[in-house]
Amino acid sequence: MRKISASLITIILISILLIGVSDLPEFGKENNPSNNILSKTYIENTSKETGAANIVTGIILDYRALDTLMEATVLFSGVTVIILLFKV
Amino acid sequence: MNKDIILKEVGKIIIPLVQLFGIYVIINGHLSPGGGFSGGTVLGTSLIIMHLIYGEDLVRSIYSRKKLLVGISSSLIFYTIIKGYSFLSYELELPHPPLGNFGSILSAGFILPLNIAVGIVVACVFYIIFSIFIKDEV
Repeated sequence: MRKISASLITIILISILLIGVSDLPEFGKENNPSNNILSKTYIENTSKETGAANIVTGIILDYRALDTLMEATVLFSGVTVIILLFKV
Repeated sequence: MNKDIILKEVGKIIIPLVQLFGIYVIINGHLSPGGGFSGGTVLGTSLIIMHLIYGEDLVRSIYSRKKLLVGISSSLIFYTIIKGYSFLSYELELPHPPLGNFGSILSAGFILPLNIAVGIVVACVFYIIFSIFIKDEV
């Protein structure tokens, strides 16, 4: 019984995911939503506005700096919980 | 714990080079590929190598647990203050740091100190998690 229900759930999940994938736009077309003005704006303006030659660092530490702060906070809370749990 | 003498002598050469490379990756984060996360990982790896070669007592005598935790907390507080000022300064029209010459180390405003803060956090977190899980108690 458990095996049958497990395989049923797996088949249903796989078909839901595949239906979702089939609605994705075709790869490499001009009018895809990923080809909007955002990437062009970043490539043209990041070095001028932040002064960083590395565009990735310019984005993650200037435009998206709160995201990086939360990543560092996740590391900090992880260490705090590990020290609390193992009492070392 | 008697380790091999070749291991110890090679470690004396390797560990400073690894730490120097980590500091280089952090400080050049806004000029070349790299930054706080990757450079901090390299720095943490040098501490892990030191732990594996020379034992826990030597690393603990230099970088005690309290020092590492103080480093993590003060770096996070520093990051929060700097970036909070940067976000508020657009609305309140406070002075911005100068952007400097494009391509030099001391440029790009707040990005260099933020990179250093993130690097310290990642290095300390890496070593603390390793030093806890390397024991057989877990």
